[in-house]
Amino acid sequence: MLGTFRSELFKMTTTRATKILLGLAIFLPVAIYILTLIFAFDGGVMDSPAIVNIASSAPLVALLLGVVGVMCATQEYSQGTIRITLVATPNRFRVYVAKLLTTLFISVVSTVVLFVFSLLATQLVLDSRGVQFELIGNDIRVVASFFLITVIVSIFGFSLGLIFKSGPGAISSVLLWPTIAEGMIFGLLSVATQKNVFRWAPIQNGFQLVSEFQMDDSNSWSIALLLFVGFVAVFAIAGALLFMKRDA
Amino acid sequence: MIVVDRLTKTYGSKKAVDDLSFTVSPGRVTGFLGPNGSGKSTTMRCMLGLDAADAGSVTFNGKKYSDLEQPLTHVGSLLDAGDAHKGRSARNHLRWIAMTHGFPESRADEVLHQVGMTDVAKTKVGKFSLGMRQRLGLAVALLGNPEVVILDEPANGLDPEGIRWTRDVMRSLADAGRSVLVSSHQLVELSLVADDLVVIGQGRLISAGPISQFMTQHAKSWVRVVSPQFDALASLVIAQGGTVERTNGGGDFHAVTAIQVGEIAAAHNIVLHELSPQTGSLEEAFLDATDSAVEFRGESAEISSDGGK
Repeated sequence: MLGTFRSELFKMTTTRATKILLGLAIFLPVAIYILTLIFAFDGGVMDSPAIVNIASSAPLVALLLGVVGVMCATQEYSQGTIRITLVATPNRFRVYVAKLLTTLFISVVSTVVLFVFSLLATQLVLDSRGVQFELIGNDIRVVASFFLITVIVSIFGFSLGLIFKSGPGAISSVLLWPTIAEGMIFGLLSVATQKNVFRWAPIQNGFQLVSEFQMDDSNSWSIALLLFVGFVAVFAIAGALLFMKRDA
Repeated sequence: MIVVDRLTKTYGSKKAVDDLSFTVSPGRVTGFLGPNGSGKSTTMRCMLGLDAADAGSVTFNGKKYSDLEQPLTHVGSLLDAGDAHKGRSARNHLRWIAMTHGFPESRADEVLHQVGMTDVAKTKVGKFSLGMRQRLGLAVALLGNPEVVILDEPANGLDPEGIRWTRDVMRSLADAGRSVLVSSHQLVELSLVADDLVVIGQGRLISAGPISQFMTQHAKSWVRVVSPQFDALASLVIAQGGTVERTNGGGDFHAVTAIQVGEIAAAHNIVLHELSPQTGSLEEAFLDATDSAVEFRGESAEISSDGGK
């Protein structure tokens, strides 16, 4: 199992596309955050712990890591190496687990790196101005939510990748569902039913996990998490089953 | 040894492989032949567990592929030379495969040396010619030093030196007691290296056994004769039930043996300048054997010069 995992990780880290995408997933949010630091807190005081501000980039980071998840699953199909992978390791469950662990590993490490860079930037920028700020507050829930969102969306991307077997289709889905499709579907349902159906939009519930404050008509943190995880779990199970059964 | 037993694979309503059985023996190169779409690649994919067979089984020294521990040390395969990430170097391509089995990194360098690619070990696969990719594919097949080697069109895209090298590799593997199954459309090449042949058409077995047996069953044979008294000899041979086809300087006798022609000539004091038994090529034998099983056939090799007007 360790060999299969090492092999999967090696595959993902020796392609330029992954490196570029991971660079984007880490440094684009960091760059945006630094710009926010420079312009939004110019001379002012941060009204919440720095780490909470960093966590507000969760949807962007999650979507980019969702695309990395897609690539973990589809890259081998587009390059034909899936045949060699399955010939080398005929136990498909083992390959599935190794690929999933690789996706999770990349997702967690990227998020940690993003946090480290963002915190360093916070310290450098605000310290140089003598601006008061709290590095880490008591809101561990926000930090945990950030990691949960990035990890679960990357699993979402990975699962869609296994279902589609094609990068463009899966990437479109992982980007369009949370940003456009979900809003349209649940928005229309809300209009049609005259009720706030939007509160049941699964990925939006996930993105709301990092909010410090809860809206009156939104779900509680645990229900939001349950919806989010449940939705992604359906795709994860479908992706796993297809991967196990489908001809390579 | 590979044993394929009543293998069947269906895609939708099409039976790609139909009740196929054959064996591949150690120490022999077995050619795997069939027209396009006959089910060769499907059979190979089923053998390696990439496609799930609907019925039947394939075993390698008595074990199913999925039951093999460290499968690359038992079976090496080259299915498609294009199965490599274009942005990864040749060495890294072998390294990730080696990692699955815990082979040392040096093993990647060893097989690269074996296939003559040491100088391009760090070159990205995308920059390779088809021939280079074939060599890299062979390196993958040899990575685990396997007892059984399965190669799908290994000489495709290779230059003459590469083709001969591939042939030598297959021969040396078989001489070392390994089982080699190779599919190829390059029948002349195959006739130079194969000991046995498995011929399929439309997913069904047409012939399996030693290449000599296949040639006896399917290759045409005739007697070439050059003689200053050819017409006289031809009349005598026709009287004995033979048929004659005139060629420049002589002719070919069919339905008689060289011994019969020689005895007729001797009995009638006919001078012979050439008397030689001829056998058709493996290509002719293959086309004869698979004629009724060809799925995709061109209408004519002639191309109209008027652009089809």
